[in-house]
Amino acid sequence: MQTAIQIQNVSFAYGSKQVLHDVSMDIPARQITAFIGPSGCGKSTLLRCFNRINDRIPGAHLTAGSILVHDIDINRRDIDLQELRRRIGMVFQKYNPFAKSIYENVAFSLRVEGRTKRSELDGVVENALRNAALWDEVKDRLHASAFGLSGGQQQRLCIARAIANQPDILLMDEPCAALDPLATLKIEELLMELKKQYTIIIVTHNMGQATRCSDKTAFMYLGKLIEYGPTMQLFENPQNPQTEAYVTGTFG
Amino acid sequence: MSPEESSAHPNPHRFQKRGFSYEQAIKYFFASNAGLTIVILAMIIIFLLKEGLGFFPGYQRELEVYRVAGLEFVDISRKNLTAHEQLSSVLNRAYYAEINGQSFRQMRRSQEASALFNSYTDQTGATRDLVLNNSRAAGDPNSEMLAALNANFETQKAKALSSLPPTPHLTAQERTSLIESIRARAIESTEDPPLVTTLAGEFAAAQQKFAEPLQGMRATIDAFAAAGADLSSLVSDMTATVTATKEKIQGADILEKDRKTLLAAAASARDPVEREKLISEAKASLADKPDIEGPIQTLLEHRPDCVRLHTALKETSGGILNQLPITLTQPEAARLLKVARNTWPLFIADLEKTPAAINAWKHDAPVPLTSAISSFLTGKDWVTGGEWQDFYGILPLAAGSLMISIVALSLAIPTSIGAAIYINQYASNWEQSIVKPVIEFIQAIPSVVLGFIGILVLGTVLRDISLLDSLHWVPGFPLTERLNIFTAGCLLALMSIPTIFSLAEDALNNVPSAYAEASEALGASRVQTTFRVVVPAAFSGILAAVLLGFGRVIGETMVVLLVAGNRIKIPDFSAGLGTFFQPCHTLTGIIAQELGEVPMGSVHYRALFVVGILLFAVVLTINATAHRFVNKMKH
Ligand SMILES: Nc1ncnc2c1ncn2[C@@H]1O[C@H](COP(=O)(O)OP(=O)(O)O)[C@@H](O)[C@H]1O
Ligand SMILES: [Mg+2]
Repeated sequence: MQTAIQIQNVSFAYGSKQVLHDVSMDIPARQITAFIGPSGCGKSTLLRCFNRINDRIPGAHLTAGSILVHDIDINRRDIDLQELRRRIGMVFQKYNPFAKSIYENVAFSLRVEGRTKRSELDGVVENALRNAALWDEVKDRLHASAFGLSGGQQQRLCIARAIANQPDILLMDEPCAALDPLATLKIEELLMELKKQYTIIIVTHNMGQATRCSDKTAFMYLGKLIEYGPTMQLFENPQNPQTEAYVTGTFG
Repeated sequence: MSPEESSAHPNPHRFQKRGFSYEQAIKYFFASNAGLTIVILAMIIIFLLKEGLGFFPGYQRELEVYRVAGLEFVDISRKNLTAHEQLSSVLNRAYYAEINGQSFRQMRRSQEASALFNSYTDQTGATRDLVLNNSRAAGDPNSEMLAALNANFETQKAKALSSLPPTPHLTAQERTSLIESIRARAIESTEDPPLVTTLAGEFAAAQQKFAEPLQGMRATIDAFAAAGADLSSLVSDMTATVTATKEKIQGADILEKDRKTLLAAAASARDPVEREKLISEAKASLADKPDIEGPIQTLLEHRPDCVRLHTALKETSGGILNQLPITLTQPEAARLLKVARNTWPLFIADLEKTPAAINAWKHDAPVPLTSAISSFLTGKDWVTGGEWQDFYGILPLAAGSLMISIVALSLAIPTSIGAAIYINQYASNWEQSIVKPVIEFIQAIPSVVLGFIGILVLGTVLRDISLLDSLHWVPGFPLTERLNIFTAGCLLALMSIPTIFSLAEDALNNVPSAYAEASEALGASRVQTTFRVVVPAAFSGILAAVLLGFGRVIGETMVVLLVAGNRIKIPDFSAGLGTFFQPCHTLTGIIAQELGEVPMGSVHYRALFVVGILLFAVVLTINATAHRFVNKMKH
């Protein structure tokens, strides 16, 4: 199986606050990998290292180790961050469409790349919305504000926006945390579709979601990777007592 | 227990409220404070309206007198006369601009030499006088004191000679020789240094030389100027008649007012004797109705003359245009000539219409209240305290306020919004910690101090810069007025920058960072993120910031009063961008300047209140709009 991201002995700190300690793992391509663990254990931080969006936070830096995406160290000096981020889409916990029309939200990544040909954009927007299972619901109001959509629709719009430029990898940080169960179900169905084309890494609090969707699961605790393996095995036959306590709900 | 007793002392239940609590007291205290501000605001509005609204009937009466006494009739002719004078003046300016432009070098050389000499005499004049007066003193000139004075003069002289103004158009040699001649000058000499005289002579010669080919133009201008003489003297004759009538009517108005006051006092007087006395006094002050028909008829007898003179003036003026040169060589002269050519058809058309207007004029046509209102709102003249007729037209003031705002905002908007974007999006922490307080510190400068700086520094520096030869192409340069729309606009820009900056920065700050994060995660650069996501999201907030800045600029008083030049006149827009270098007066400035001097209750006093009401309404509208934008941003 192909490896999409290799994480090698990564330690990470916000200023002087050490958050990740010596994390190593290989994330397989075209599968769904779930990160689970209690709040504050560093799941988001790790995820945000993959597209270096943590660079926005002053003082945030890798203290050791390296991250390889398709065998290239993304913390090299000569990395074109914009190109890297075009290859790695991201969906956030709280849906955050721009104050623009539905159409312009989806077309954003192409526009900033300088691709503005109307016919091309039309095709890309339709395709992305179809892939995000949103097309039928919005095709009549593409130029209406994105804020008119329901929460679940807005989150799917964010997914469409993230996949419009055909990235290889999709990072999702608790994408269903702000949604009701029905909308969550829709997104989970969508994930199963997207998996065919994308490598997906999803942070989740919901263990049911991890078991339903993911192929592999990583359990983190206090900035350390405790256990990582196929989802079935991790939930049914955890090797580490901490993992066991967490998945059975007797943790703490 | 009887029923009455139980109602007087009801059985307390478990959750019985006990009297007036401490918390309620606090609540009422704050509520009353909030209520007080509302009451005060209402009182201010009522006061403004009460003082202001009386203006319109008062102004209506003034306009009525203006008509009945015949001033309006005279003004029909006077308007053309003024236009004629202005045209002559424009032509004259063109003529001199041409000559002075051609003899520009000689002019500058002469000016610079005299400026240098004047600077010397200004600095040494006082000590020189001391020396001369004392040595001339009869009897025993105190030789010790005289020596001291002389020494003092010598030091002054040395000091003055070491701080002389630059003379870019004089050769180094000329400058040295000039300074040497000043140094060698006898203390009692009153003659100008030879170079100053020579250069003045050269300038005069050059002027004469360049005037030679323009003799035709000179004669034409003179002929044109002379063509107005007859009309001018007729207008002065008529002026004397109508002013007398107006005074009579005004005198009667005053008596009438007194009588009304007495009658009102009588009506409220309790003592019958007192009342009788008041009523008889009122009767005594009953004015005879002034005779206005007589003077008006004398005035109207001038009608045919008036018509004849206008026709003659039109005839003469029509031919003048063809006798003028097509264009002139100096840019300023050519511009002025073009202005004259452009206004010429209007002038002729006005003259053409005048006879009909003169014949149609009626002294007894009624003046409705609406014409007082429209004359206030659309009047092009704000003339007060004059001998002829007061006009309260708001346009010159509104135009001034608006022009200053345009300058201020077009300087302040790019600066402050640019700074806000930089500080919010790109600046490091230490840059933020320096720039923000500094910009906010500007707000702490008292506006009178800013005005002071504006006069002394900005006005002077700008004028000096405008004198540079290399900047001659800038419209309006060299500046004729040191204090003008532009200087006031610059200072108001400075004053509104903190407002716009802080509010725009807040607006940018309020954009959730999730937007920027999402944008960057989609491969947008920092700049793209700023301009495609953050700024559009903050747009209504930024607009609100600009509007509040505008409100600040429109309402500012001290700076414009000190720096705008205070000329009550609609700017002459024919000067193009140079219009911004003309002085003006403003809505706020006029109130501050005139309110202290007008008699309370007069029409003028009330007019200022109406200006205040207008200003209040404008600023209120601006602020309300701004708040709507802010609320829109909060979704
Ligand atoms: N911007 C930040 N600056 C400083 N500390 C942070 C920042 N973001 C997260 N942290 C800290 O890093 C730790 C891990 O956070 P996070 O990765 O968000 O955890 P999770 O997503 O697993 O809940 C937490 O202790 C959190 O307080
Ligand atoms: Mg998290």
